[in-house]
Amino acid sequence: MSAAVATGTGSWVIPGRTAHAAEPIRVGIATDLTGAIGFAGNSDLNVAKMCADIINKGGGLLGRPVQLYVEDTASNEAVAVGNVRKLIQRDHVDVVLGGITSSMRNAIKGTIVSRGHTLYIYPQLYEGQECEEYIYCTGPTPAQQCDDLIPWLITHGGKRFALPSANYIWPHLLNAYARKSVEKHGGEVIFEEYYPLDQIDYGATVNRIMSDKVDVVFNTVIPPGVGPFFKQLYEAGFLKRGGRLCCVYYDENDLNINASHEIEGLASCLDYFRAVDALDPASARIQQMYDGMFAGNKYLMAAGSAATGMYRGMMLWAAAVKEAGRLDRDAVAHALDHAKIAEGPGGPAEMVPGKRHCRMRMYIATAKNGQFQIEAKSNGLVDPQEC
Amino acid sequence: MATALNALFEILSFTSIMVLIVLGLGIIASMMGIFNFAHGEFVLLGAYFTWLGHAHGAPVWLAMALAPFAVGLIGFVLERLVIRRFYDRPVMAMLGTYALAVVIRETVRGLIGGLYLNVPAPLVGSLSLGGLEFAQWRLAIIAITLLVILCSWTLLAMTSFGLRVRASLENPALARASGISTKAIYAITFTFGAALAGLAGALVVPIFSLFADLGLRFLIQGFLGVMLGGVGSFVGPILGAGVVGSASAALPWVISPVVADVLVFVAAIGVMKLLPNGILAGRRV
Repeated sequence: MSAAVATGTGSWVIPGRTAHAAEPIRVGIATDLTGAIGFAGNSDLNVAKMCADIINKGGGLLGRPVQLYVEDTASNEAVAVGNVRKLIQRDHVDVVLGGITSSMRNAIKGTIVSRGHTLYIYPQLYEGQECEEYIYCTGPTPAQQCDDLIPWLITHGGKRFALPSANYIWPHLLNAYARKSVEKHGGEVIFEEYYPLDQIDYGATVNRIMSDKVDVVFNTVIPPGVGPFFKQLYEAGFLKRGGRLCCVYYDENDLNINASHEIEGLASCLDYFRAVDALDPASARIQQMYDGMFAGNKYLMAAGSAATGMYRGMMLWAAAVKEAGRLDRDAVAHALDHAKIAEGPGGPAEMVPGKRHCRMRMYIATAKNGQFQIEAKSNGLVDPQEC
Repeated sequence: MATALNALFEILSFTSIMVLIVLGLGIIASMMGIFNFAHGEFVLLGAYFTWLGHAHGAPVWLAMALAPFAVGLIGFVLERLVIRRFYDRPVMAMLGTYALAVVIRETVRGLIGGLYLNVPAPLVGSLSLGGLEFAQWRLAIIAITLLVILCSWTLLAMTSFGLRVRASLENPALARASGISTKAIYAITFTFGAALAGLAGALVVPIFSLFADLGLRFLIQGFLGVMLGGVGSFVGPILGAGVVGSASAALPWVISPVVADVLVFVAAIGVMKLLPNGILAGRRV
């Protein structure tokens, strides 16, 4: 790993190490290194460093090394905008990757794309509907997370769904898609209810789930509420009577929130799980490289942290730069519009031309004794169905 | 009927958690006149030490029993180093303790990598009664809360130490003239309040899991409880916390949870308008 050089409060430059003497290509990474979702942002930065390393070892891009310019968005939109402006105005980066929450994406995209005339790649799974020009989304959308999962849940759980949710944009839009899919496949939504983001007592909800004989809890309650909620469900006997938990952002990081028996059988649907390594040698190789580079580091390459979207974003952008043969925004955007990568965590990926979203392979996994186990793999690449 | 019983248990359980957390906050606010914004972080530290002890192989009940002592010690050191400078400056005290809170919270966040970590409860499983399931650890928390209230009340109301604490609050100059070391009393009271916060954190961490914002989550509702009950007595904040806790646990059973969240605050503001000094204004102990 290259040494990082601090260039101001919350700013770092990670120089590319190659034999070239040429001026490096500047890649901006704006992610939440501190604050509430710092665990995810640090994973994203790790993956970006790994990708820069892969690119530079392969000779760089256009005969030039890649250099990362890192800004901390600090899980705080107000801080983020100022820091991202530094990437654009001071560092003149050629592309910005990052942002994890949708509120962060909305806060920084104007600075990058419209005022900054720079490409922006957003790596996190999200609610969809980001269709602005020059913004490319490399994480899964509701269609990708639900299309295979909902029929699977009806077969392996039952027809009566409850949709308990945190009250913000992602659960609202994901639920709208999930509800349609549930009804299309012969299931039924018993209730869809929204809670304050910091609610941590779910007695009333659990009671409703138990007395209304719900089969599948399709959960979009987020931490800190999700842990106590699953615990209360377990204590009320939901799993004992054969109920199925489902939570589509759950990855290896989230398995520690509860004791393993409290979430036994919880289903998730993401573009990568560690268990995929047994099915896909390329994924195993990337995971091994990550573990080697960041040995002893507590940040996992987990799909729910946007780490896999970051990998796809970096590599699709690199492929686009190679094809374009230059760095100006329109040329790279034109190539990125149909860029493909043959391998990545979870499998190959490709941009859907004209849609600025990414086709990828999706996996359904369930929690078994504190580990995810793959239950199903999509047939080929799943379409994001956006824009 | 089953639903009503179930609701009653859930409400009682959350109310006792709220009371447990507010206890130390109330004692420090009432007996010392300090609004301790770091109280939530003392709760967090209690939870953190419980996790730490358990992660290093100690049985979880032992880790829970030791956590209040560790937090009490930290409270004592902070009182000697920082808090004592704020006794005649309540506004500075709020800012100072807020700063301490940020330091503690972000340190813990760094130590646990910003993750959510599970701590098992010493009592696992549920008690089945007439087809209803009561989580054993929640039952235990209700019992422990009652016990802690009783012990704290006995200490403050029935012992000569309690008398000296109250004397130091009401008239520090006269207390000193009567041979009471108010300096020592304040240090002990603050330590005691911090240890109670540590105990609360240790007991609730199996329910909520360990995360850096654990204490922050309870701080606003905790202060609301203290204001509602009335500063200056031991019983007031407990009563206030009971009202806030049961209202925020009960309302989601009947109305939309998002509305309930707001309604608790609106109702509390209404009560404070009518009873500006709190429900138990003017009474001691």
